[in-house]
Amino acid sequence: MKKIISLTVNGVSHEVAVEPRRTLLELIREDLGLTGTKKGCGIGDCGTCTVLLDGVATFSCLTLAIQADGCTVETVESLAENGQLNRLQQAFVDQGAIQCGYCTPGMLMTTTELLRRNPHPEESEIRRAISGNLCRCTGYQKIVEAIQTATEDSDE
Amino acid sequence: MLLPRFDVLVPETIDDACAMLADYADDGVRILAGGTDLLVDLRRPIIPQHVPRCDGCPTHPEGQIATTIECEPSKSDPLMSPEGSIRTKLADPKSAAPAFLVSLHKIDQLKGIELLPSGGLRIGALTTISEIERSSEIRKDWTALAHGADSLGSPLVRNRGTLGGNIANARPAADTVIPTIALGGKLTLQSSSDTRTVAAGDFPTGPGLSVLKPGEIVTDIHLPTPSPHSGSAYYKMANRKALEISTVGVAVWMVLEKPGGPIKDVRVALGAVGPTPILAKSVGKVLIGKVPTDEILVQAAKAAAGDARPIDDHRGSAWYRVQMVEQLTLRLLKSVLSGIENDR
Amino acid sequence: MSDYRILNTRAPRVDAVDKATGKAIYTDDLRRPGMLYAAILHSPLAHARILNIDTSRAEQLPGVKAVVTYREAGTTPYGVSPARYDETIFCHDKVRYVGDEIAAVAAVDQDTALEAVRLIKVDFEELPIVLDGRTAMDEGQPLLHEMHKNNMCAKVNWHFGDIEKGRKESHIIRTDHLSSKMQDAAFMEPQSILAETESNGNLTMWSSTQAPHYVQRTLAMALNIPLHKVRVIKPAVGGGFGPKASCSSAELAVCLLAMKTGQPVKLTFDREQVFLHSRARHQFFHTMTTGVKKDGSLSFLEHKCILDGGAYASFGIATVYYSGSLLGGPYRLKNMKYDGYRVVTNKPACGAQRGHGAVIARALFEVQLDRIAEELGMDPIELRLKNVMEAGETTCNELYVSSFGMREALEAVRDSAAWKNKRSSSGKIRGGGKGIGAACGFFVSGAGYSIYRSRTYHCTVVTKVDEVGGGVTVNSGSADIGQGSDTVLAMITAEELGLSLDDVQVASGDSKLSVDLGAYSSRTTLMTGHACREAAQDAKRQILEAIAGKMSVAPETLDLKDGFVVSLAGEIDFSELRKEYLQEHKGFVDLPDGPQLTFAEASRVAFLELGTIVGTGKYRPPPLGGSFKGAAVGTSPAFGCSAQVAEVSVDLETGEITMDKITGAHDCGFAINVTQVEGQMHGSIMMGMGEALMEEIIYDKKGRIVNANLAEYKIPTALDVPPLDAIIVESNEPHGPYGAKEVGEGAIMPVIPTILNAIYDATGVRIDELPVTPERLMAAMKAKKDKKG
Repeated sequence: MKKIISLTVNGVSHEVAVEPRRTLLELIREDLGLTGTKKGCGIGDCGTCTVLLDGVATFSCLTLAIQADGCTVETVESLAENGQLNRLQQAFVDQGAIQCGYCTPGMLMTTTELLRRNPHPEESEIRRAISGNLCRCTGYQKIVEAIQTATEDSDE
Repeated sequence: MLLPRFDVLVPETIDDACAMLADYADDGVRILAGGTDLLVDLRRPIIPQHVPRCDGCPTHPEGQIATTIECEPSKSDPLMSPEGSIRTKLADPKSAAPAFLVSLHKIDQLKGIELLPSGGLRIGALTTISEIERSSEIRKDWTALAHGADSLGSPLVRNRGTLGGNIANARPAADTVIPTIALGGKLTLQSSSDTRTVAAGDFPTGPGLSVLKPGEIVTDIHLPTPSPHSGSAYYKMANRKALEISTVGVAVWMVLEKPGGPIKDVRVALGAVGPTPILAKSVGKVLIGKVPTDEILVQAAKAAAGDARPIDDHRGSAWYRVQMVEQLTLRLLKSVLSGIENDR
Repeated sequence: MSDYRILNTRAPRVDAVDKATGKAIYTDDLRRPGMLYAAILHSPLAHARILNIDTSRAEQLPGVKAVVTYREAGTTPYGVSPARYDETIFCHDKVRYVGDEIAAVAAVDQDTALEAVRLIKVDFEELPIVLDGRTAMDEGQPLLHEMHKNNMCAKVNWHFGDIEKGRKESHIIRTDHLSSKMQDAAFMEPQSILAETESNGNLTMWSSTQAPHYVQRTLAMALNIPLHKVRVIKPAVGGGFGPKASCSSAELAVCLLAMKTGQPVKLTFDREQVFLHSRARHQFFHTMTTGVKKDGSLSFLEHKCILDGGAYASFGIATVYYSGSLLGGPYRLKNMKYDGYRVVTNKPACGAQRGHGAVIARALFEVQLDRIAEELGMDPIELRLKNVMEAGETTCNELYVSSFGMREALEAVRDSAAWKNKRSSSGKIRGGGKGIGAACGFFVSGAGYSIYRSRTYHCTVVTKVDEVGGGVTVNSGSADIGQGSDTVLAMITAEELGLSLDDVQVASGDSKLSVDLGAYSSRTTLMTGHACREAAQDAKRQILEAIAGKMSVAPETLDLKDGFVVSLAGEIDFSELRKEYLQEHKGFVDLPDGPQLTFAEASRVAFLELGTIVGTGKYRPPPLGGSFKGAAVGTSPAFGCSAQVAEVSVDLETGEITMDKITGAHDCGFAINVTQVEGQMHGSIMMGMGEALMEEIIYDKKGRIVNANLAEYKIPTALDVPPLDAIIVESNEPHGPYGAKEVGEGAIMPVIPTILNAIYDATGVRIDELPVTPERLMAAMKAKKDKKG
């Protein structure tokens, strides 16, 4: 039987009927049509489905939609404002941190959480923070560089 | 979607949760905390046979492909490894698809880290591993647990996974459990009819198996008041530096009579070298009452290795694990000792 | 510095903004009205005869629209190499690995489809299985396929020069072994497929593929549809690395279901299915005997290899050739013998993966060079420098290297990594847990021949100038799978037409747009780059001819630069053309007002004069290679080369390995996009590092994968990969567009031996079984200690 939950996704409040077994990822991608969040493994091993749940980087594939009842969800679609990339996104674009792009949304969300908690992370802190977001294209080098660039810019 | 159908109950108090577990016991009910293990376990695999089955263990009820796959519980078969982990499950009566999940996420009583007047620490079972990782109290006085939290899975697993969940899963490699055992942690288990306390080391009884009775919830974890001149540490050995299940994990806790003085008490807990975490009792026999010297620490490390009961599986062979227990125990004893001395 | 405006810069990828905002559409993001969901029944057994398949219960399940087995699909054989077609869409007589496809279902939702699959009843008769590639050819082993006698699906016996003569000239001869494990490409995006038919019988399939062209051909052949009625579209793809380069039975099954139901049908692999389908790296068992003269120059190589390729031939025929042929370079080697055997076993089929076929062979050969250097008391980089080929030379197996920055690359990494300060010059190891190692690599820049025998163009490009003026669209069947080929095409076009990147659109990855063999063998920059340049130049010529005609000047006196028409023969008064343009654009803002004619005006005038302007380009390599059997594999219009230095720390008491730094230099001829060249190098190094240290598919004794997930199939995380330093070497390849050649795969070639050589330097032990896990390293160190007593 479906249950009604309410949650705020990227600033928009939704009331949705979901099956109890529905994952937050399925809710976001299929019910809300926000396909920026990706599914790479479905079992919490790869990080491509990362969203912020009440500000915490969370794999949406292993979170039931019901568990997000009453919560605030942020996805990759929330990062740009008025069509302008935010500093982190711009750094990813400029530094070549994006290749196939499949890990990018999750990587951006995990990093968003990191930078809110720690606006000037060391390289080692960056690497540790993104160690649950797998990327098979970049060797992480340019991702780390992009995150560093984004934090340098914030000094200005 | 690959999750089977179930209903989710969302209690707001521990009592309600216990009542629900009791009420729905006959329908099949499981506790949902962080979900990082449970929701993986519940998924229906693409090939049913990828989940091993053997006599007495439930099969996936959604129907089988016609052939009978023989199931030989064998130590040489990696799928049958007692080193059961989040991916390879052993016989586990709980893994039958439940009709109900009781999700604890709205129970505030289960959350939080609290310094007790006694000097001990209470950690709510629903406290996430990330919260433990970031707790300065834990890092200072119950260091081994902070190390365990640091090394568990990945930041995303830690953000979601809970201490109670890591304990209740009763996996022999669980990164927060090994330190909790070494630190002398105690668990509170509550059901609708009873509340009891068990030592963390007495909780697991086999891979995925524990003393937790149907209807019981792990509600909190108590760590004892730190003794003067004590210290602890945990080290996880694995093949990569994140997202790992350990090959071997060792936690050490030690108290000295006085700086430079004899060892008053010591506990060494071993992970992934037996069907449950192992408290290496021989170590105490070697060390307690002795002034630590290199020779005696070497002896203690050998004693720890002697207590290990590993098997060969796809994560490591028994000989390597025994070697690593010895090596890591020696290193950790030394580093904890120097930590205590430097604290003076 | 180059004279280019756009080329040789760090221009951001054309798809980066969409990927950074979540707007980029991958196949699984697509949804069509009335779309059904598919599920596949995979074999639970590694080898069994199919006695009966009963789909009746599945068919009766409400919501099920179609159930298909071999009865509906037919048994037309297909595969990758036409001579070895050994697959059918579904198993009909036997299943040959755990995961082999038996049936598929389309239903109203995924749940129903999965439920239906579980209701299909299959009766099997279990057969004995073959799991060990080393013994698969032995007498009495169970046979997988009638067509592969002794379970051998291909063999190569090559002898170039005279190894006996080489042996006589040798001062040192040594034999070494190296084996690896099957690996997974572990791209982040699981395969996804959506197919739909139209009432006229046209079939469109969107798929996460590297090669729309080959997939189109296979669909048409296996499903018996005219080729022109099959269209394959590749949306954004989340990485391929090889396994997505061939048509899969899942693609065929989904198309069949779409044809049967008349409704769109989608299937997205679960991660477990990615592992089951595999088509990734083979398992290799190499033995090499190498001889050198007193001065360190190579005298011969005798090489034997068994490749365990799993249940079907797939790309394996090319793989077994590549394993031998790519050792022809980058060193002068006159005498080379190779005996390669590609066997089938009851495991998921292997295919192509980055550095196709050549990675483990390269690893052993480079390890041998280090061991020889040690015996000679020579610095291993010096030994390599002594032997490297130079541009203009031809290998013993008739591969001609027209540009070759091997020496430069090797010297660059040596100097950048301060090799001479860190490595003992006597060739002795450093030991003590700190090590440094080096190696080189060599790879094709596009396969010289298509997979099927044909004189087809390998690619064509159609660049259409917008009739309204101002923009152009590059139409190409090429496949951007994340490597950035669309950006390369946009940059080339913008450069040629004097445009900004924003004014160039790239439409690609669609078999209707043009012919392109796809993203494999590191071919796109060189081959499609050629065709793209030609198409842009063709469009430019037409535009300038139209303007020249209007202005009565010679077309050669005009050029397109920075968004304007420029005259090389003095100023031209374009006011008449301007007037006409302004008349057409009453009410528009930002109209041209300077003295120069804009590209928008010029392209509009050209349309008014000539109609739609379409520039076309094409590329086909010249005939390449020798005349011996299998000479085609390994041929290429150009060859890339790479050198790397790795620095490692090893915990001598636990075997734990920490990579401290990897410095790589790659000769890509000319870096069209500097950032992307570095990105390919970084990605190659990371993948090679995973293969060296942690990646292996593990099977149980029944042929089931024990670690079919990304938790236990370990690829490096951000904490494992050390800082990477990428040095670009540009040798100006005469056969490449603007001098460019490959970087996508060549950069993986040196990684494994670089790391193995560094570990040896740190520990004094050699490991002949990959990956080098802490345990394997400990075991080797212990064995050495025990031996010493």
